[in-house]
Amino acid sequence: MKLKYLITIAMILITTGLRAQNVVGEVEYRYRIFYDKIYSSLPHLTQQERDRILLTWNNPEGYSTRMKLQFWPEKSLYTYGEPYEVRSYSWQVEDYFIENNLKDQTYLKYMDQMGKTYIVRDSLNAPKWRVMNEIRDILGHMCMKAVSEDSLKGQKITAWFASDIPVPIGPEEQFGLPGLILAYDINDGMLIVEAEKITFGEPEEIITLPKKMKGREVSGTNYQDIVREFIQSSIESRRAWMWEIRY
Amino acid sequence: MKLLISYLLLAFITFASHGQSQLTIRGTVKDTTNLPLNYTSVLLLSPKDSALVAYTLTNKEGEYQFKNVDRQPLLIKATYMGYLPIQKELELPETDELEVEVIRLMPIMQELYEVVVKAAKAPLMMRGDTLEYDASKFKVPPGATLEELLRKLPGIQIDKDGNIVAQGQQVQKVTVDGRRFFGGNTKMATQNLNAESVSKLQLFDDKSEQSKLTGVDDGVKEKTLNVELKEEAKKGGFGKISAAGETDSRWSSNASYNKFDKVNQFSIIGYGNNVNQTGLSWDDLQEFRGSGAFQFGDTGDFGFNGSGGVNYISFSGGDREESFEIPFNNLSSGFSNNEAIGVNFNHLKDKKDFSSNYFYSRSDQIIESFNSRTNFLQNNSSFTSTDQSLQNNGAGHHRANLRFQNELDSTNTITIEAKGRLSTLNTSLGSLQELIRNSTEQSQMERDNRSNKWSGAFQGTAIYRHKFEKSGRIFAASISNTYSKADQDGIQKSVVDLVNSTDPNTYFRNLDQVNEALNSNNTIKSSLLYVEPIKKIFFWETFYNFSQSKSETDRKVFDMEASDTPELNPDLSRFFDNTITYNRVGSSIRYANKGSNISVGLAASNYRLNGQFSVEKASEILGRVDKNYLNLTPNLSYWKTMKGNKRINAGYSMGVTPPNIADLQPFKDISNPLYIREGNPDLQPEVTHSFNTGYNMYDPATFINFQFSLNSTFYQSQVVQNQSIDPETFVTTFTAGNVSGGQRYFSYIGFGFPIVKTKFNAYLTANPSFTKSLALINSIQTETNTLSHNLGVNLDLTPVEWLSLYAGTSYRLSKTTYEQNPSQNQDIINLSAYTNMNVKLPKDFYFDMKFNYNRFENESFGFNQEVPILNAFIYKLIGEAKKWEVRLSAYDVFKQNQTISQFAGQNFVTTGRIETLSRYFLLGVTYNMRGVEVKNRR
Repeated sequence: MKLKYLITIAMILITTGLRAQNVVGEVEYRYRIFYDKIYSSLPHLTQQERDRILLTWNNPEGYSTRMKLQFWPEKSLYTYGEPYEVRSYSWQVEDYFIENNLKDQTYLKYMDQMGKTYIVRDSLNAPKWRVMNEIRDILGHMCMKAVSEDSLKGQKITAWFASDIPVPIGPEEQFGLPGLILAYDINDGMLIVEAEKITFGEPEEIITLPKKMKGREVSGTNYQDIVREFIQSSIESRRAWMWEIRY
Repeated sequence: MKLLISYLLLAFITFASHGQSQLTIRGTVKDTTNLPLNYTSVLLLSPKDSALVAYTLTNKEGEYQFKNVDRQPLLIKATYMGYLPIQKELELPETDELEVEVIRLMPIMQELYEVVVKAAKAPLMMRGDTLEYDASKFKVPPGATLEELLRKLPGIQIDKDGNIVAQGQQVQKVTVDGRRFFGGNTKMATQNLNAESVSKLQLFDDKSEQSKLTGVDDGVKEKTLNVELKEEAKKGGFGKISAAGETDSRWSSNASYNKFDKVNQFSIIGYGNNVNQTGLSWDDLQEFRGSGAFQFGDTGDFGFNGSGGVNYISFSGGDREESFEIPFNNLSSGFSNNEAIGVNFNHLKDKKDFSSNYFYSRSDQIIESFNSRTNFLQNNSSFTSTDQSLQNNGAGHHRANLRFQNELDSTNTITIEAKGRLSTLNTSLGSLQELIRNSTEQSQMERDNRSNKWSGAFQGTAIYRHKFEKSGRIFAASISNTYSKADQDGIQKSVVDLVNSTDPNTYFRNLDQVNEALNSNNTIKSSLLYVEPIKKIFFWETFYNFSQSKSETDRKVFDMEASDTPELNPDLSRFFDNTITYNRVGSSIRYANKGSNISVGLAASNYRLNGQFSVEKASEILGRVDKNYLNLTPNLSYWKTMKGNKRINAGYSMGVTPPNIADLQPFKDISNPLYIREGNPDLQPEVTHSFNTGYNMYDPATFINFQFSLNSTFYQSQVVQNQSIDPETFVTTFTAGNVSGGQRYFSYIGFGFPIVKTKFNAYLTANPSFTKSLALINSIQTETNTLSHNLGVNLDLTPVEWLSLYAGTSYRLSKTTYEQNPSQNQDIINLSAYTNMNVKLPKDFYFDMKFNYNRFENESFGFNQEVPILNAFIYKLIGEAKKWEVRLSAYDVFKQNQTISQFAGQNFVTTGRIETLSRYFLLGVTYNMRGVEVKNRR
């Protein structure tokens, strides 16, 4: 029954002349984080401390990193892009890779978080999206607004997806909308991720994960528990967990 | 291709869950001209929260189909590029099949999409029939009216009479935040509202007033424009004021106010007290300086420095005369009366960043101190001098700082800084010095010195940075000028009784002198830097530094004793005219990749010292200095960041410091007749080799952290003060000289770990150090070694929300050994312990207690002093918003406060003691507009 259904729809789509060039490509995102806003939102701070942080740390531009997403109908790869500026000091040592496999509905994350390297494998579980009545243009694509929440990190997520790029893929941990997510924002501007460049077609250089992945292998649920415990103990010790976990 | 599409579809299927009574929903999407729209996204949403239930695409005929949809209330939504998305609620049928009526998408007005959504990047929001957009994305000149903004908007025209015409229809009314504005008079609204205060505009067809009143829809629609005003989120003001006093004349007060919006920050702060607080608190300083709080360290000095390639930023809080910085975190000794006031203004707009402040502080200080110094002589004998003094210092400092940074474009940045200060200082010192050789041989001297000083300085710096198109290629240039001037006059009197010496040449004699000193310095600095990247991981850095410092010292000493008219003393009066010119050119290669940084460099530096001196400015030149030092200085540094918050660093640098010109000139300074300083024209620069290494790690999951560092310095040539002590008069003459072989080692080990995670933490420290110093004492080379051990334990206990406890102790043992005179070896012990307790009591009462215990010991002198200080505070927050606080404070409950210092030098040991403000109580009130801040955790 299921197979029949699949084939039927596939036939319909093939006959409609699906614009396949729209479902393979590479996106460069600007990942802009606003540490002043994030830090001043810590629960143990007094109003005076919040004001002080916003006043003295004030950085309207945020801190930018270039990220890269490669997408196909059956999978996506995501990691750091070329740095914006060549700098004569090198700080960057952390790894951050996300591979989403839509075919067998699994993901692999290889990332340095909370001072350790984790290899997380589990099945994909899309955020619960609510689609809103708002449109916006990003790089010539009309995008619709969708919102969701991350209760673990206390984040309100606002995403913009392009329905003319019909892959349920997105940057960071966002996916599962009827179109490629070209931008999203956390807690009204604590983090802004926005596409800067889209190139359709097979990417020239496909993102490869390190051959030897050294790290702690955990399942998605285990990892969630580690994060939950880390956030809790950080809040209790009045430390900023956001410095150690990808926001 | 087939495979590809089946993957795509698998994703959709996961959204359509299985269950009983599942629906199949199908329909068609067309445009307004009845043409089917293929490749259109069709979404099923839950009407209560718009949650996404399922989605699919239409086929060539504009047809879509959802299978196996759970029976639940549903919204259907269709979206297609260039069309307004449409959504409507589905009426679920009795059967399992639902044929949805044709969805017709309306194209978005071309102009609207192009101008609003594409060009202005303003999201377009649909609320039923209403279209809304973010007006703040449209640029209008400052002060523009709403009418000018409307003219910019697509689909809206303003006719010659000032009426608004939207999509061909005249706008009947304008509402502001949903309310009618000026009786709905559209022109009144558009011409009076400021465009900058508008955040969103909504255009829609509203029911007529008549139908709103009657509730009967008469079908008449009025074109309505609603204007939503901005919430001025980033605008506010806060301030606080507090005052405290006691019956016994102690008082303390401070006040501050900050006002800020998106572009301007203004703050004013002031304090006054007689409880030795001579600076702002660190928090207050940050608030005062606002966005300028962390702008420091941009000195424009390029290239590696003697400290191993890293430019350290150091800032001290004291109210020092030479400093341009605002004093903070400073507690003075003795008894003082302090006042200060400051104003800060910052303006941040676009890429322009301006900050400025002015700060005036003044203080009157009384210091009553007792100092003792024991000097060892080579024949195992020693003599001791004691000094009991009473000093009155009055100081006032005006300081102003300006900084302007402008990013002209993405490649060019210019920074301009201007700093100025103006100080007045008055000092009067009365002292009784005693020289004790043994119980029978003593001599005494009474001193009475007074001086008035005025000094001022100005510093201007300009830095230009250019980034080339090739990323990583950088050019930077800086220029700075510092000018300072000081004018001092004073009197110096000393009366000696029981003079041991009959030698008429001794300076240990009665004095009655008037002195005048006029000093000025002008320093010009300039630096250039060029960085060329090679393959993104290698950087070739070339720099050039230049500085020229011209100084003039005009010191006149007049003897008063011989006659009533002051007579110039030609032995003590000097006019100096010095120029130090510094040139350095260097280059380094840096490797920077994946957290590893290695830099190897070499620089050639040249110091040229020119000077001359005479008794007076116009008189015969007594001596000249013309020295030229050329050195090659290598530099190595390594720095690596590793996974898991670990860092390691190591480095080597060679430092060359030219001698002080004062040390080069054969001139006797007898301002303290017991300690005479003499210059040495043959002095060579100080040359050091420094090695540093460090490691630190932090595990955020376990909260364990560890730090280690070791810094060592080897002196190839060290400038030291050689001493010769007159065995008759005990007058010590210091002459600068060079020795090699001196060494210094400093290390630090810190280890922090939780005993009970989040509740109980420990931090252990140790910083052993070793210093080997060499000097000539009475022409004999002496070696002094000081080995210090310092161990510390700190415990933080925060078991419950209402209680925190901090305790710690540190123990320092300084062992000083004298190679030539082991009988004089010294063991100096400093022991300290503290506990702090913060308790939150019911009903907004708080109790804080701080206990500090210090013990100073030196066995060889039988010195043993304990200083236990207990401070306690009880306070209550008042009011619902906790804006008021009443506080009772007790300082130094045991009345034990005094400032103690101990030091063992090459051939001497000193101890000092300053009588300091002790037990007092304050009762105070604080009002804070943002609520009083309680810091019960540190």
